[in-house]
Formats: sequence, structure tokens, C-alpha cells
Amino acid sequence: MTSTDPSAAEAVVFWVCAFLSVVGGIGLILSRRAVHSALWVALTMISLAVLYIANAAPFLGMVQIIVYTGAVMMLFLFVLMVVGVDSSDSLVETLRGQRVAGILLAVGFGLLLAIGLGSALNGVPVVGLDGANGEYGGNVEGLARLLFSEYVLAFEIVAGLLVVAALGALVLAHRERWQPRRTQREISQERTRGGIHPAPLPPPGVYARHNAVDTPALLPDGSVADISVPGPLRARGDLRPVDTAAVAETAALTSGEATYGPAKRPVADDPGTSPGEPS
Amino acid sequence: MNPEVMTAPSIDYIALLPYIIVGAAGVIGVIVEAFVGRNGRRPIQLVLAFGSLIGAFGVLVVNRTTLGLQAEGAIAIDGPGILFMGLILLLAILVALLMSERQLDPAGDAFAPRASALPGSDDERELTTRGYFQTEIWPLFLFSVFGMMLFVTASNLLVLFIALEIMSLPLYLMAGMSRRRRLLSQEAALKYFILGAFSSAFLLFGIALLYGYSGSVEFSVIADALAAEPGQTALVVGGVALLSVGLLFKIGAVPFHAWVPDVYQGSPAPVTAFMAAAVKVTAFGALLRVMYVALGGVRWEWEPLLWIIAGLTMLFGSVVAIAQTDMKRMIAYSSIAQAGFILIGVSTATAEGLYASIFYLVAYGFTTIGIFAIIAMVRDAGGEMTRLDQWAGLGKRSPLVAVSFGIFMFALASFPLTSGFIAKFLVFESALAVDNLGLVIVGVIASVMAAFFYIRVVVIMFFREPVEGSPAAAVPSATTTLALAVSAAVTVILGVLPEPVINLIEQAGVFLR
Amino acid sequence: MSVDNYIILACVLFTLGAIGVLVRRNAIVVFMSVELMLNATNLAFVAFARMNGNLDGQVIAFFVMVVAAAEVVVGLAIIVTVYRSRRSASIDEPNLLKY
Repeated sequence: MTSTDPSAAEAVVFWVCAFLSVVGGIGLILSRRAVHSALWVALTMISLAVLYIANAAPFLGMVQIIVYTGAVMMLFLFVLMVVGVDSSDSLVETLRGQRVAGILLAVGFGLLLAIGLGSALNGVPVVGLDGANGEYGGNVEGLARLLFSEYVLAFEIVAGLLVVAALGALVLAHRERWQPRRTQREISQERTRGGIHPAPLPPPGVYARHNAVDTPALLPDGSVADISVPGPLRARGDLRPVDTAAVAETAALTSGEATYGPAKRPVADDPGTSPGEPS
Repeated sequence: MNPEVMTAPSIDYIALLPYIIVGAAGVIGVIVEAFVGRNGRRPIQLVLAFGSLIGAFGVLVVNRTTLGLQAEGAIAIDGPGILFMGLILLLAILVALLMSERQLDPAGDAFAPRASALPGSDDERELTTRGYFQTEIWPLFLFSVFGMMLFVTASNLLVLFIALEIMSLPLYLMAGMSRRRRLLSQEAALKYFILGAFSSAFLLFGIALLYGYSGSVEFSVIADALAAEPGQTALVVGGVALLSVGLLFKIGAVPFHAWVPDVYQGSPAPVTAFMAAAVKVTAFGALLRVMYVALGGVRWEWEPLLWIIAGLTMLFGSVVAIAQTDMKRMIAYSSIAQAGFILIGVSTATAEGLYASIFYLVAYGFTTIGIFAIIAMVRDAGGEMTRLDQWAGLGKRSPLVAVSFGIFMFALASFPLTSGFIAKFLVFESALAVDNLGLVIVGVIASVMAAFFYIRVVVIMFFREPVEGSPAAAVPSATTTLALAVSAAVTVILGVLPEPVINLIEQAGVFLR
Repeated sequence: MSVDNYIILACVLFTLGAIGVLVRRNAIVVFMSVELMLNATNLAFVAFARMNGNLDGQVIAFFVMVVAAAEVVVGLAIIVTVYRSRRSASIDEPNLLKY
């Protein structure tokens, strides 16, 4: 067996991609977070694209990458961003035993199908696509011929499907404006009169010792500005507690009560070990 | 390597005119939505919808003698196909009448003013007081009808799959657009969509296996391959089973019925009428064609499968319907049971079974639309009143409505002199003709059980004192009245004088290959 | 490579997708599982096309991708609508209807 033996090369490609795609499928099921599931599916889809190419379908392999990993999975990720990245699954079963029953049912079904088909197809001769591809001068040409002859009706009615999809997405997503558009003057008046912070919010960590996004800024008088931390972090309680000792030290330095020099206290301002840290 | 010159495919666009009319009306409807002002849209959409449906039906009647495979064998326009398309178009016209109703709900029609406005938000209230209407439902509805017409005449598994999706995607969307109880409606849409996509994946895997077996997705090639070589049965058995799963899901047969009650309950009443009547007709049309034309050669594979499913479906639907306290859910389970009776006709694999199934579908389709027309009428300020006890005393307050509902109930319970009696009789007769006595006995038992809850509704309406606060049926506009009158008339006429329709069905002959 | 390897792989992936639909409760993950099932089907079409020596399977797989893309658009629109109304993407949590 040499490295140029096409069937051996295909076997290598098959086993590698089969392994990766199954891993991706299992990852889809087992990931708690929807984003991780999406990435696992993307892995499966890319592996399948390679398998298509190995199966004499180079055009489909490319379309698979463009349409599935490029468009469909990106759409999924966009929606996950809209819905909230951390929308993880609840592990509560609404029906007791439903999960186990579902897995057993599906595995039984899959085994039946795989064994039946595997034994039926074992040793069936593969005609190969050289003849079909050669007839019109290539894979893409052959596909085009079929698309515009035998399957031309399917090609035409798919247009209806795409119109429905676009219309449906618009109907559900397009919000019609019924109040007049607010002018810039109204917006600015509302901002200044509504008691909202009119200027840009202080960025996190400016006067503190860390510039991490979850570290609140300190105002010049030493008080803690909670609004400098993004709202979602605050809502989750992911604020890093301010190291008051460090604040006092800074204040002392500023007012001249203390001088620069070797540290007089143990270095305890590592925020990772401070109490009350959300893990 | 000398590329041949490709010959252009031959498509007879005149023969495809009914499809083109409905599809083009849908496309024009979308363009109207984009370019016509808000107040001008509704009249144009109504003209487009009714015009295209009636026009397509007219063309179908005129062209009824030109039969044959069209568009490179992708579509078979044959006798049963024309019957199914005609039935779908008639039912769609009645549904369109229900959809255009604006008098029952004081705020407007049955659909949310804007599906994108959040339920209970200021947006929604403002849009309601302004009297906005979501006119996009009309193009969606027309596309769905377009998909149905393709679905019942598809002679190629790929066109079958695409038509299934064209039919279903608008339905998923429309199920979530109810004006009242919007959360319930949106949830119904989500459930319908997830389960629908799940089942279409099974359908597709079945198609893949049949393609692997025969090397083609055309019904005639698959039939020839089955006739020529009976080997490689795992592909065929798997293909038939998975394909059936996808089709039986749309029919709502047990064990693929889980979506039916929830979706029927959550969707707006006109859309439920559309799903219960037209989708069921369509799914049975496609099931009959696939089983009889493509898979007729492996009849022994799917006949026992359908026997079991028909028996289960009849018994399950009838038993569970008895326990229901919600009118829409009860009708949903009753429609599951009815699907079981029609499956008896399908499972015979004879021409008589085909005719009996078609007659049953005609009777069932019109009755169902009448039922949902009335369900939409019995309402209070918050929407439809679907609890059974709220229907008490309807016979005293709105006698005419209650009497029509009684007729529909008697038809579903298959009392003599209604369409349901003749339909059930024909179906049982076709099963007896192939000596399937067991299934008929199960069917009779299920009918007796089902009769119980249909009659219970009649008793509640006429012999129970009305509870406090249950109003009379709202007075509908002419459109709902017309739909109701037509369905009641068909239900009675088919029960008294069924011969013309039976003759029409039998003249249509069998499926083309 | 014989075709049975590819078909068995398609069955395995199809089953994994089905398990995902039955086990997971997050509507988006359930929908991704359906997409996995469609992908598995496409693999079967492509492998069968090579076995049968005609390109029909590849054309069908091409159509399946188009249909799946349309389905994704509608499905995600419905999911986002439900999410906006309820602030949750779980198909069980909204338990107005019995599951």
C-alpha cells in the first residue's frame, strides 16, 4: 500500500472525518450551553463537507461549507446572541423517565437501521460517478444539467419556499413604527431631564488598581462608581469587590500622610482571593 | 468527453395553470404588501385570494380531461389528483371566508394586528386601537394552498418533500398569529414547528433509502425497481417505514399525534379549520399516491403497519376525546379518531378503498370547517369560549347555531342521513371487501365510543341550563355565515343524496404512473 | 471504500440528532439537532449517488440544503418571537399547553 493508493487515502479521510463528526454530534447532545452545541455542530458539518468531497461531490462539499457552516450556523449563533449566550438547559425532567425512554428508543431505532442497512449494503458494488460526471464534462456541469432538466420544477417551486421564508421572518421580526420618530432635541431633553447620567458613563477600573471590565471605577473622592460596570454583569452580581485597603492607601498617599516605600502590609490585594468573590 | 447539447425540458405551462394562478397570486400579494398603502392592502389581498382560488378551481374544471405526467414527470395530473386539488381549493375558499371575518371579534379579525408586537405591550394596544391588520396572512395562506396542490400531485419524492415544506412553513407561521391568547398561540407555533421539522427529517431519510434502492426518486422508477428485483429489502423496509412516519405525522395518526391537540387549541380558529380540513385532505392524498403508485409493489410491507396504526388511532382518539373538557381539544382528538377511520380505507390498497377514502375526506373536510366556524362564533370579550360547560344552554340562546353544530356532531358520530354515515359505511365496506373483518370490528367499537362524546356535546347544548355569563353565539358577518351554510348543506346533502358525488369520485379512476 | 461505511455513519449521526431532539429542552439546541439529522440524510444521498452512479442524489442533497436554509429562517424567527414574549428559549418552561 503506497501513499498514493486512492482507496487507502479515502479510508484515512473517512475514519478521521467520521470520528470528528460523531464527536461533534455527541458534543451537541452533551453540551450544557447552546453556544457550545452550535460549535460542535459546526465541526460535524465541516467534517461532512470533507466526506462529500471524498465521495466525488466537490461542489456539494463547498456548498455545505458556505451554506451550512457559513450561513446556517452563523444564523444560529446570531440568534443565540439575541436570546442570550448563557441560556443553558434546565436539567429538570417534566416527564419522569422521558429522557431515558427517548435515548433508548432512539438508540434502538438507530441500531436497527444501521445493522439492517449495513448488512444489506455490505459488498454492494459502487458504480462511481466517473461516467455520470464525464457525460457532460464535469461534476458541476452534470448537476446543472439535472437541475435544469429533470428537476426544473423543483427548482422553480423552491422559489416559493424562499419567498415564504423571507416573508415569514419579516412578519415576525419587523416592528412597525406607529409613534412619530423622536427628534434629537426630544431625545436630549429626555436625557437631561430624566435624571439619567447625561455624560458618558465612567469606564470600569479607571481609578482602581485593575482595568478589568468587572472592576468598578473609583471616583476622585474615593467612592465606588457601580455604574461603570456594564449592566448585565451587575445584574449577575459579577462585580469585583473593591479592595478598601488599597483605596485607603491611595488616599493616604495622595494626602501626604504616607510616603512611597516598601510595602508596610502583606500583599493581599490580589482580587482573585478577596472574600465574596463569585466563583 | 464531448459535452452534448442539452435539450430544454418540456413544461406544459397551460396544464400547470392552476398551480401558477395560486402561486402567482401569492407572489403578487407579497409585492402588494411592499408597495401598497396600509389601507389599500386588505381589499387587494381579498380579491387576489378569492380570485385566484376560484380561478384555479375553474381552470381545473375546464382542464379536467387533460390528464398526464407534467414537467418531466415531476407532477401527475390524474383523476384522483384533480379531485384532491379541487377539494383542497373548495376547502381553502371556505377557510378564506372564515379568515376574512371581521365582525365576531370587536377588535377586528382573528389575527394579531402585528405578529411582531409583543403580547400585552403598548405597541399591541396602540396598533389594535388603530385597527391595523396583518394582511401578510393572505400571501402565506395562498403559498400554503400552492404547496398543498403540489403535494397531492407530486410524482417525484423530491417535489413531494419541497411541497410538504411549502405547505408547512406558512402554517407554522400562521399558527402563531392569533389575536387572543397570543402566548398560547406562539407556543403552539413553536411546538408545531419543532415536531414538523423532526418528522420531515424522517421523511427525508426515507426518501434517501428509497433513492439508494432504486437510483431515482420518481414514483414510476421506484415502482419498476420494486417489481423487477425484490432484493435488498432493508433499504425498502426502512424507506417505507420512515416515509410513512413523515406522512402519518401530518395526518396526525397515533403515535405521531402529539402535536394535534396543542396546535389545534392554540391556533386561531380559521387556521385550525385549515389545518384540520385541508392539511388532512392533503396528507391523505399524498399518502394514497405514495403507497398506491410508488410502493404498491411492497403492499405486504405497509398494509399490516397501516392496520395497526389505523386501529390504534381510532381507539386512542375516541377514548381520549371522552375525557376532554375543552371544545377545541375534544375536536382535535376527534380528528385523530377520524384519521384512523380514513386509514382503514387507505390500508385496503384497492380502488374501492381509494374511493371510500376520498368520499370520507370530502365529508370530513366540510364538516370540520363548519365546526370551527361555530367555535369561532361562541365567544366572550376575551376570545373564544372553548370550555365545554360554557356551551351549556346554547340551544336556548342561539338555536340556529346550536342546531347546525348538532348536525356536525351527528355527522362525526356517523348517524344516518348525514355525510358521516355514508362515509363510514363506504370505508367499512371497502375493508370487508378485502376480508379485513378485524379492523372493521375495531372501527365499529371506536365509532360507538366516539358517538358518546359527540352526543354529550348535543346534550350539553340543549338540555343543560346555561351557566352564568355564557352569552349567545356572536352574530357573524356574511362570510362566516356563507361558509357555515355551505358546510352544513354539504353535510346533509351528502347524507341524503350521496350518489352524484360517489359517481364523480368513481369516474375519476385511479392514479397515473 | 464501500458504501455501507458511509450509510452507517449517516445512521449514527441521524440517531444522534434524534436523541438531541428527544433529550434536549432548549428549542435552539433541539432545532440544531434537526439540522444534524438533515445533514446525515444528505450524507446518505451523496453516498447513494456514488453507489448508483448517477448525480440525482447530489442534486437532491443540494435541494435539501436550500429547504433547510428556508426552514432555519422560519424556525429561528418563531423561536425568537416566543423568546421575546417569554424571555426563555426552553420548550418546556412555557407550560401553558400540556406537553
